[in-house]
Amino acid sequence: MKRVLNFFRRQPIWAILLGIIVVTSLFRPDFLAIGNLLNILVQSAVNGMLAIGMTFLMINGYFDLSVGTVMGFTAALTIGLQPLSVPVAIVLAIGAGAAIGAINGFFVAKAKINAFVVTLGSFIGVRGLIYIYTGEDALVGKVYEFFSFGASRVLGIPTLFLIMLAFALIGEFALRRSAHGRRTYAIGGNVEAAENAGIPVDRTVFLNFVLCGTTAAIGGVLLAARLNAATPGLGWPDTNLMTIATVVLGGTSLTGGSGSITRTLGGLFTLGVLYNVLNLFNVQSFYNLLLTGLVLILVVYVDSHLKQRRVRFE
Amino acid sequence: MDGSAVNAQAQQDSSASNKPQQEAGSALTVRSFFEKQGLIVAFVVVVAFFAIASDRFLTYTNIMLVLRQVSILGTIAIGMTLVIVAGNFDLSVGSLTSLTAVVAISMHDVVGPIPAMIITLLVGLASGTVAGFLVGKLRLNSLIITLGFLAGLQAVTLIYTGGRYSRIVEPEQTWFGFIGRGFVFGVPMPVIILAILILLFSIILTRTVFGRHVISVGGNPVASRFSGIRDGNTIMATFMISGGLTAVAGIMLGSRLMAAQNYLGQGYEFEVIAGVILGGTSLQGGEGNIFKAFIGILIIGILRNGFLLLGLPYYFQWVAQWVIVVGVVWLDVASKRGKLLA
Amino acid sequence: MRKIIVLLTAGVLMVALVGVAFAGGQQEGGEAAMDDDVIVIGHTANNVGIDSYQTTHDRVWTETVAAMDGVETIQLDAGGDVALQLSQVEDLIQQQVDVIAIWPVNGDALVPGAQRAYEAGIPVIIVNSLIAEEGFDYIEGFAGPDTYQQGVNGAIAMIEALDGEGQVVDLMGLPGYVTAIRRSGGFHDYIEENAPGIEIIATEPTDWNRAKATEVMENLLVRFGDEIDGVYVADDNIGIGALNAMREAGVAGDIVMTSACMFGEGYDAMAEGLIYSSNYQSPAEDAINAVEMAVSIANGEEVPFWNFFETPIVTQENMDEYERPNF
Repeated sequence: MKRVLNFFRRQPIWAILLGIIVVTSLFRPDFLAIGNLLNILVQSAVNGMLAIGMTFLMINGYFDLSVGTVMGFTAALTIGLQPLSVPVAIVLAIGAGAAIGAINGFFVAKAKINAFVVTLGSFIGVRGLIYIYTGEDALVGKVYEFFSFGASRVLGIPTLFLIMLAFALIGEFALRRSAHGRRTYAIGGNVEAAENAGIPVDRTVFLNFVLCGTTAAIGGVLLAARLNAATPGLGWPDTNLMTIATVVLGGTSLTGGSGSITRTLGGLFTLGVLYNVLNLFNVQSFYNLLLTGLVLILVVYVDSHLKQRRVRFE
Repeated sequence: MDGSAVNAQAQQDSSASNKPQQEAGSALTVRSFFEKQGLIVAFVVVVAFFAIASDRFLTYTNIMLVLRQVSILGTIAIGMTLVIVAGNFDLSVGSLTSLTAVVAISMHDVVGPIPAMIITLLVGLASGTVAGFLVGKLRLNSLIITLGFLAGLQAVTLIYTGGRYSRIVEPEQTWFGFIGRGFVFGVPMPVIILAILILLFSIILTRTVFGRHVISVGGNPVASRFSGIRDGNTIMATFMISGGLTAVAGIMLGSRLMAAQNYLGQGYEFEVIAGVILGGTSLQGGEGNIFKAFIGILIIGILRNGFLLLGLPYYFQWVAQWVIVVGVVWLDVASKRGKLLA
Repeated sequence: MRKIIVLLTAGVLMVALVGVAFAGGQQEGGEAAMDDDVIVIGHTANNVGIDSYQTTHDRVWTETVAAMDGVETIQLDAGGDVALQLSQVEDLIQQQVDVIAIWPVNGDALVPGAQRAYEAGIPVIIVNSLIAEEGFDYIEGFAGPDTYQQGVNGAIAMIEALDGEGQVVDLMGLPGYVTAIRRSGGFHDYIEENAPGIEIIATEPTDWNRAKATEVMENLLVRFGDEIDGVYVADDNIGIGALNAMREAGVAGDIVMTSACMFGEGYDAMAEGLIYSSNYQSPAEDAINAVEMAVSIANGEEVPFWNFFETPIVTQENMDEYERPNF
């Protein structure tokens, strides 16, 4: 019991999530219907994928504004290259995402340009690439297997969600147990100390940007499977901001050095549930937006206060 | 800069600048000139390119046109420069532009132009004050806070109008349109307003105590606090200025159109920040130049205008922006440390 | 202790926020899905806040349903987000509504959603903007304007006004969006087939945004100067934006403007002779037409697949027969 309470104290987002679920279920028991819960899961698959790589990057002390348009670009490539064969299209699409991540990583780690600038540039530029590639049209998938894969379930659970979950588990394992994960935390906590300890800072940062681009690309593939289409507007204008918000909501610090994918999943599910609840209660979309904004502000406020307490006592 | 710029980034950049300034004694070679003045070079290259490619580009009409088109973003960029110099971000400017334009237009027919403008300015200042309080006094992260404002202010706009757009019923009967549409000695009014504001705030940033505080707070918040500078107040003031100037931009935009739609300013925040960065304002804080930020905005505006004049698809300009922004900043950063890669 | 206070304050604020949101924003129809005697329409719309037409459509929809006995509606706004709309369709299926009405964000990307609803046994109608042809098997029908015809009407008027000779520019809506594509396509196709003397020298998107339209037109005027004889706009909102630029350049009366959809201010401009022709498209009629179709389907009645409502051509000559649009 004490362990459970401790868990909630360290990762308050799960307490908030639980609270919302409980309250909603009291008023609308159909919230707990399996179909509804499964909907929430599949709807969070794409965003979750993006948030995995972003978590790594933010723990490292950076963020990536280009994830939105990278996702859109890879979705377009996944559909558009289908004539070559679906697996080839997927590989090429993910490769493109990794390549853009590498470009970002090069400029940040090697040329030492501020990450905001670099990723803002690629955010805008990749949007241009999407339009150039699609020519302003929507691309429609023609391969039935790909589409049915996107709608498929394993033991009743949407496949797309399971894929995201699998990557999340791998990611969490890598964060906690691998050398790369340890280095990521170390650099995020204190760059100079990390350097002095002999950690290859540049290489780690570079890898994390590649990782972020890759997960954004996988997210794009999942999105393409879900929609069986790709429109030029995908990922614009605020997918990247919502991804960062998801990670921050979970409790990963914006200054780096702490956080985890578990936390991010907490943020992810909370946003998914919140959205679903508002739909269920038929709240008009304008108020929906207002609530999202206020929730963000509130969470940052609460988190900063809790953090101050922690720092003072540790 | 509690949490406003990422920790590792800050440490990385400061360790880079700690390296000895190798080029201090070396002559001002042509090459080092190019590296140091990346922005000017980019500007000249872009202008030259379009002037050669299109004979309509350098005409008086077109120049005035581009200047007027960028005056909205340019006005917002002034405030944004101050916010970034002080070490933060303001992502709410797009939604705030929508809101203030809507308020200005909808209030015009209800209370008259001057009261409408005053109310609009108050709305902008109010938003800036709240944001400034949260970031400056409560020390919350500006990225997420202003992101919340981006969503919240857009929601307020939608709720306020109920989704409908606003318009001035009798555009001929009021002088309000002069702000956005008028000309003085052949120069569009918004350009004149922008020029005055650039001058005013450049002086404020470089010659006043407040300006020095802003630079100091952005460059080294701890030292600032020790010198007795109330950094919380300073930061709050930068957000208030940003909100107020965004309101001015909203008024100009509304006046130009004599109407306002709900998503008018959507996406502005990224364009403005890109222009400000292009202009050399450091995202670490502590360094920035309002006039150069305007040049950055101008370059982006020229790209948009130029691509259309050449008949190229509008989306090519985005790739051009990518190349130019990263390229110019790279040159700038490289020139400071003396080599391309660290 | 302080932490508890902070958390409590946050909790209270959250509850207050939620209360405000529900009080201010809640619409009818949430609970009704569970009641068997009531017909529940699940409606997901492209982007309610984007312009007055869509907002009016949404409002009239709600009012029409409210005036009906035994019918409720769930109003969802996709905010222009394709993935969100798919999620909304899934949620509506989950809530077991009686009929789903969709105003697509994108006609191609909607097909999986329509298919899912079809497989779940819930009838689907498409409102205002078409779904891609592959989706026709999954839907009961379409209720909305014939936007391709609107483009054709714009072309017919343009040919008449220019006497078959001249250069025109096309200011489109939002790239990739079906209505924008069809209105532009209808115009282009008809001109190409019937007016060899007319050349379309530029086609630019404006995202349905008036400020953008002004900017685009300004730049076009610089680029082409007085070579532009006519401008075709995807709706009057864009048209007014273009007129702003044309007025400043002093060419407002000289260039012929035809529009695909009439807005209130366009009506005024037409009275002044600045717009040559437009199509009268009432969002109210659009919404009522769609609601009636949805209710009929939910009641199990047979309805024709194509349910266009009239969007007649309006010119200065016959504009007195029509009321000024209130949006």
